[in-house]
Amino acid sequence: MPVISADLTRQGGMPSATELERRLLAGETLLAESPDHVLEVVGVLESYGEVLDAYSRNLIYQAEQQFLNPFPIFKFLDGDLSPAKIWRHLNHDRINFEYAEYCMKAMLWHGTGGLDAYLDSQAFADLCAPIIQAKRRNDLLLTLLDPLFRQFLPELIRTAATTHALGQFWRVMSDLFIDLAAAERAGRVATIAQVVDVLKQGLVAAAAQPITYAVTIAQQSFPVLPPEAGLTFLADVAVPYVEAVFLRGMPFLGTVSFNAQAQQISPDQGQFAYGALFADPLPTMGAGIPPSLLMQDMYRHLPAALHDWYLQRSRGEGDVRVKICASFQKAMFCVTNAAIAGTFPHPAGSSDPQALGANQAYARAWASRLASARTDCLSAVS
Amino acid sequence: MTAALPLPIQLVWLIPVYGFSGVLLSLPWATGWVKRNGPRPAVYLNLLVTLLAFGHGSLITLEIWKRGAQHLSFNWFSAADLHLSIGFDLSLTNLAALELVTLLSLLAQFFALGYLDKEWSLARFYALVGFFEGALSGLVLSSNLFMSYFLLEMLTLSTYLLVGFWYAQPLVVTAARDAFLTKRVGDVLLLMGVVALSALAGSMEFTDLYRWAAQAQDPSQGTGQLAPLAGSLIGLGLIAGPMGKCAQFPMHLWLDEAMEGPNPASILRNSVVVTSGALVLLKLMPLLRLSPMATTVLLVVGTISAIAGALVALAQVDLKRAFSYSTTSYLGLVFIAIALQQPAVALLLLLSHGLAKALLFMSVGSVIATTSCQDLTELGGLGNRMPATTSAFLVAAAGLVGLLPLGCYWCFGLGVQAIWQAHPLFAGVIVFTNLLTALNLTRVFRSVFLGAATPKTKRAPEVNWLMALPMVSLTVLVLLTPFLMARINPVPGIGAFSLPVAIAVAGSGLVGVGIGSLIRLDQFWSRSIQQPLRGIQDLLALDFYTDKIYRATIVAFVAGLARFTNAIDRQVVNGVVDGIGRLSLQSAENLKLSVSGQLQSYVLTVVIAIVVLLSSLTWIVGEAVR
Amino acid sequence: MTSSALMAFPWLSLLLAIPFLGTFALLLWPGEPSPGRLRGITIAVLSAQLVASLALLLVFDPGHAGMQLEEVHSWVPSIGLNYQLGVDGLSLPLVLINAALTLVAAICTRDFSKRPRIYFSMLLLISGAVNGAFLAENLLLFFLFYELELIPLWLLISIWGGSQRAYAATKFLIFTAVSGMLILGAFLGLALFTGTVDFSLTPITSERLAMGSQIVLLSALLVGFGIKLPLVPFHTWLPDAHTQASTPVSVLLAGVLLKLGTYGILRFGMGLFPEAWAQLAPGLAIWAAISVVYGSLAAIAQRDMKRMVAYSSVGHMGYVLLAGAAATPVALLGAEFQMVSHGLISALLFLLVGTVYRKTGTRDLDALRGLLNPERGLPFTGTLMIVGVMASAGMPGMVGFISEFLVFRGSLLAYPIATLLCMVGSALTAVYFLLLVNRAFFGRLAITPASDNPVEDSRLDIQLAPVAPRETLPALALALGVLALGLVPALLGHWSEATTTAMAQLPGLVALIPAGGVG
Repeated sequence: MPVISADLTRQGGMPSATELERRLLAGETLLAESPDHVLEVVGVLESYGEVLDAYSRNLIYQAEQQFLNPFPIFKFLDGDLSPAKIWRHLNHDRINFEYAEYCMKAMLWHGTGGLDAYLDSQAFADLCAPIIQAKRRNDLLLTLLDPLFRQFLPELIRTAATTHALGQFWRVMSDLFIDLAAAERAGRVATIAQVVDVLKQGLVAAAAQPITYAVTIAQQSFPVLPPEAGLTFLADVAVPYVEAVFLRGMPFLGTVSFNAQAQQISPDQGQFAYGALFADPLPTMGAGIPPSLLMQDMYRHLPAALHDWYLQRSRGEGDVRVKICASFQKAMFCVTNAAIAGTFPHPAGSSDPQALGANQAYARAWASRLASARTDCLSAVS
Repeated sequence: MTAALPLPIQLVWLIPVYGFSGVLLSLPWATGWVKRNGPRPAVYLNLLVTLLAFGHGSLITLEIWKRGAQHLSFNWFSAADLHLSIGFDLSLTNLAALELVTLLSLLAQFFALGYLDKEWSLARFYALVGFFEGALSGLVLSSNLFMSYFLLEMLTLSTYLLVGFWYAQPLVVTAARDAFLTKRVGDVLLLMGVVALSALAGSMEFTDLYRWAAQAQDPSQGTGQLAPLAGSLIGLGLIAGPMGKCAQFPMHLWLDEAMEGPNPASILRNSVVVTSGALVLLKLMPLLRLSPMATTVLLVVGTISAIAGALVALAQVDLKRAFSYSTTSYLGLVFIAIALQQPAVALLLLLSHGLAKALLFMSVGSVIATTSCQDLTELGGLGNRMPATTSAFLVAAAGLVGLLPLGCYWCFGLGVQAIWQAHPLFAGVIVFTNLLTALNLTRVFRSVFLGAATPKTKRAPEVNWLMALPMVSLTVLVLLTPFLMARINPVPGIGAFSLPVAIAVAGSGLVGVGIGSLIRLDQFWSRSIQQPLRGIQDLLALDFYTDKIYRATIVAFVAGLARFTNAIDRQVVNGVVDGIGRLSLQSAENLKLSVSGQLQSYVLTVVIAIVVLLSSLTWIVGEAVR
Repeated sequence: MTSSALMAFPWLSLLLAIPFLGTFALLLWPGEPSPGRLRGITIAVLSAQLVASLALLLVFDPGHAGMQLEEVHSWVPSIGLNYQLGVDGLSLPLVLINAALTLVAAICTRDFSKRPRIYFSMLLLISGAVNGAFLAENLLLFFLFYELELIPLWLLISIWGGSQRAYAATKFLIFTAVSGMLILGAFLGLALFTGTVDFSLTPITSERLAMGSQIVLLSALLVGFGIKLPLVPFHTWLPDAHTQASTPVSVLLAGVLLKLGTYGILRFGMGLFPEAWAQLAPGLAIWAAISVVYGSLAAIAQRDMKRMVAYSSVGHMGYVLLAGAAATPVALLGAEFQMVSHGLISALLFLLVGTVYRKTGTRDLDALRGLLNPERGLPFTGTLMIVGVMASAGMPGMVGFISEFLVFRGSLLAYPIATLLCMVGSALTAVYFLLLVNRAFFGRLAITPASDNPVEDSRLDIQLAPVAPRETLPALALALGVLALGLVPALLGHWSEATTTAMAQLPGLVALIPAGGVG
């Protein structure tokens, strides 16, 4: 009878920090080049793009239409209250928007970057005051609570602002991912290097796009994130998003104990390593693993080619969501790769030693951080 | 008799079935048969059946209010002189407990919809909560000891499965194990008592048992009297089950570890589960007359649990654990009340504690959901941003401490009034526990809600409506507790205690709050440099090293015994067998009876066996005949 | 057909004929039938056997205590061997369990690589022989069937077993052969000393014998059946046999064949020698308690899941002996329940352990972790495993609880200390089975021992073959049976109560039941 055979377990090799730094500086992709990888990354990004489209619409709907609504019972219905939609909602035959909220909360909670700094500024507080005034005018509960809990409403407005900003960010990413899939179908993209390049071009193109947000109360518009705040796509939302969701993440109740005495969670959020690039795909769909929701959403929007590819591997349909998670991790390495490539302080190939040094330091910082991530998924063997 | 009763009462057997049916209804999603859609329909179905249970319970309560208590019994299994039945004792007390269970279950399930909103295994969670609720609601109505035991064991199982909900988390693995085994030890001791009572008294109905116990105690009854040792042992067995369920010293360890489980389950565990354990003890109270020793043990255990639980709670840095130990402490007070024959006080205390503690755990759940943190040293400054959570905490704390005229104030007043003349020591325990609890709640409130925001609480919006709504509803309910108590206990009235008693209770609460507001918070967390103080801190923070003591004693003993048995089994028992086997094969070789193969050795063995057997038979029989 | 015609039909012979004819059919089937076809024929035969066994319920009168549907035909009168069959409340549930579990064993057979024709015919032969043993009303006939089951089982272990199968099979053979000899010796002795050559069950009375001879003969029977049961210290063949046997054989061995031991002890030990039984009963209760505690403690120390389940059998079969020693109506009904309950639960556990082994290649509790993982692990197997171990640990709502409750309730007043010790054994069951579930099914999925580095452990990728839904059907059916009998115990009690109550009132035994009161 069998003993534990080698094919039951495998451990991918992990490239060293030096190797990662070299790849970044040399303009090589982190993810190894292989036709399978192209299929996985483009396919999973396509379904992710479709899911993000729904997430983005809903977050923007929530921030604009459900602003400070104490009982947002229909917040996931995007304003469509037809019986069919309500039935689908009750039957849980829908996108899991809870995951979008989860990412928003992660961004809000980790609080890095320009958006967060603006939310703490006096300018923001000045904008909040008239909004609260307007809301209090015809809401007894808020009239009562606001003086007792001074930060209650501002905190909710910050949440709404982050929600809207994330919605705008995902709008861009969704279009980018769906365009990528179209480009691949059209034959314009056939390698991982081209994938990373398309993503980089997309991010660079959107980099300076302004992030703004205003709410309407009683037919009057109130700015929350005004254009004057100068918040932009890449620096103020994309980078904090990568920090909060790709890198730091939140500890999962299903794998980490919150017990204070056990001290499994670092008191310093900067030390967190629970993000998408660090996550273990194997427990996907288990209890207490929030990204399961995203994997389910992507599963429901999987392109046929990728689905067929999954069906031929390991348990086929049985563990398809674990495989989606593994592919998703590869895709997120590509997105990270593109983001790093697009944010080098100086153009690659510059001959200025100072510029070279700065680029090197930038690459090294990223490489050291990524060295402990799940880089074992990067090799071509899968 | 049954025919005359209105339909809701006749259908009382449905009450536990509602909860259990939630399990079946959740199965399509919990097992993954439904693959494309999410698990929320299971949630709605469970909420629906819980609502049905609550509604049905309310109808029965109304009927009973009009007609007085009823008793319904259905035969379950009979064999020879054994008759096991499913019995429902529909008294107002039991129905109040049922309403408490179903209402809190409903609120906790609603709360869980928000707390576990990104949980994919929701269906399994709700199936388990349904199981939990079914067992609990049957337990509070149970009219016989067998059914109570049956359902208590089911509670043990569901606690194990609920604590083990996040089965991949390393500490959950040990927590679920310890929760099950600790409760199981209590349950097996209880089973010994149950089996003994069943064999001795015949019937398992509580009323028959009371009658039997009175007879067995009666010295004028020559034949039916029970030996004192047997009585004591039965008494100890009977209290062991509730001790485990109510997390009393020394069987309290599991509640601490059970905090690894999802918070909505903690809400139920710290309120209604411990309450149900105490209710079983209340039902067993008349039987404890068999055993004065059991009463003494109850008092000792209750006192230690009350004071030590409150002290250990003071030293916890974990938000959930600071209050789970307080549960042990309050149930200790209930044990004291039961041991001192104060069932009314015990009941009122269970009610006010259950409601307030459930609210407290909801508030705690909100804090954890918002900050992803349960470490008191890393929390702070939430007070001005989370109105529902903050007021829930304040109201729950007020409901628990004897200071403001909410639930526990009246309970403590009645309790102290009832016992301070006969048992001043235990009255002191109540007052002191009140002081320690007030101190604990104040220091936790300060470190979570007051002070400056910390990195982890910098962005703390109030929780979503799915959590806020049940929390606010329960806040209102806790504020209304005194009125509920007044309805349940009209004689002698909940305010029937003297002014000195009132001053003692409120004073102890005030002193506790005062100390809690004045102490330097950091002295609790950072270990003191002074050796004695540091030792005490560690002792309390680590719960008197109870887990280490267990590991070194019981666990080591059983493990050692198991290893020893295994060694004996392998070396001695099996060794002898192998030796004989080798010997016989060898002799077969020597005798050249066999060339090879097993069939030959079989034949040989058979021959040898027959020879040995027949010769020994003739010898022995010959001896016997001679 | 009229009711009397129904009664006159040789139902019991049919129960023997189906499996035996099936055996011949398989052996003589023309050509080279494929393993799948052989399995199909076997399943068809066993289904027919199950239907015929269920049909017994229609003609069996549960209110009647004695033997029913009796068939008597003279066979070799010169040595007192008659073809004499009958069924009562003690044997009826066991006949059903035999049919059901053999069917399960045939369905869950997956290894066809070696001589499938012999394998399946041996399976049928065992089932027929066991039916014969349960139905025989003649001591010699019982012995014939008891021995008949031995050789096929030995073949099943020694041909289809694991790497140490030769050792385990030989050990099994020697032990059971000795068991057979002791039983035959006791039967012969009984005839010898009473001076009859009639081996029918009913007319035999041991009253005429001196107490000394009765005790000697009963002791021989006790040791003989005690080996089969198995009781400590005659149990060492069992863990080895189980670890080496394939899953279906383990299911048969634990679920059906061990019951021959308990059945024999109750039917022949207690039934033939009630007076001597009453004498030895206190010792038997202590022996039972030792067996229970010893088996449970040894189980805790096991690392091999299958060995652990095997030792749990040693522990749980001891309850039957305890109940027999107490011999009250409730205890004996408990014994019947415990036989059925152990049959279902141990079969379920062996099936599940077999599934884990087939999918992971190991049964080592130090290596297996996190099998509940929903996508890559064995979640459904894990769920059923939790049901199985909880049933075994005596959790209410499942048949294990009511069995233990009846045994304890019936035995406590007669033997308080032994009963309490057995209850401790029940608590220990919870310990080892909980460790099994927590170790193998909780945590992150892995099938290697945990290393010192949890980060490295979390990088292990596991690809286990999935469990097809139909593979879980036998286990699911058994689990549902465990739940059904646990929730509605009357389903079983109804058929056995009259018989077990009558057994408790055997003349020699009655004196044993205490008037009441402990201490």
